[in-house]
Amino acid sequence: MNPEPFLQLDRVIHEKGRLAIMSMLAASPELSFTELRDALAMTDGNLNTHIRALQQEGYVAVAKSYQNNRPLTTCSLTAGGRKAFADYINLLEQIVRQNKAK
Amino acid sequence: MESNWALEHLQTIRTLMERSALYRRALAPIMLFAGFMGVLAAAVGLVLHLDSPREFGGFWLGTAFAAVTGALLITRRQALRDHEPFWSPPTRRVTQALLPPLTAGMCLGFVFVLAGLANAVVLTFIWMLFYGCALHAAGFFIPRGVKLFGWIYIGLACGSLLFLGIFRPEVDLSAYWLMGFFFGVLHLIYGAYLYLTEKGTNAA
Repeated sequence: MNPEPFLQLDRVIHEKGRLAIMSMLAASPELSFTELRDALAMTDGNLNTHIRALQQEGYVAVAKSYQNNRPLTTCSLTAGGRKAFADYINLLEQIVRQNKAK
Repeated sequence: MESNWALEHLQTIRTLMERSALYRRALAPIMLFAGFMGVLAAAVGLVLHLDSPREFGGFWLGTAFAAVTGALLITRRQALRDHEPFWSPPTRRVTQALLPPLTAGMCLGFVFVLAGLANAVVLTFIWMLFYGCALHAAGFFIPRGVKLFGWIYIGLACGSLLFLGIFRPEVDLSAYWLMGFFFGVLHLIYGAYLYLTEKGTNAA
């Protein structure tokens, strides 16, 4: 088997929690921190850590604003994040195809 | 084994993306509009005495058409305001979920009216039953208690039909009052609840 696609998988996205965040954000223009936390059943700290890692990689943009006098944190994928996610999916599909062909 | 792992990953990603792409347009204006239409139509029906099953069926099918058209226009206006596509994947999914029960209810109502199989009161509960099923199906893609709202219709319709079937009460019920309450007032109550609790999130 050609190990090439597996080795090319983006390690930042490949982590389970971060992959879940990227998947959710890929299907929505933006999601609030609360929506992400509730949908993925993560703790505030855990979600914060993952979002910070994705932010440092330039995959996720975080915006802070106010709604009804309450702070609102929203996350969205950057163009780079969208591309990295698409590349990750392509590689997974490549792995599946490769194994089917065997 | 690695293929399984990759397939599972892809499946998880798909599920998460679908869950994320919920229909999030503001439902309050749609519910309030539907409620207003329900109450108005019931009042008009009572005043005009459209009491035969055919008149009743035709009148309410026309009202339903007007309510659906109005709801679509409200949705379109929200999409235009937010610079988003109107026919988005969540909107498509919600429509696909709503259509089968609504079509079935409409057809059954039509047949019952033409064949003289049901009076206006029974027709009201049959429509409620199908409408409840439609709401419940759409509720898988809409937050804000739509599934529960569907169950309320199903429960009320089943309970009322059972009551009518078993006890055959000699009560002179006006179907217009029932339609006005169930399709008008209930929508207004739910719309008011949504209006008071809805957040600013409004994307589909």
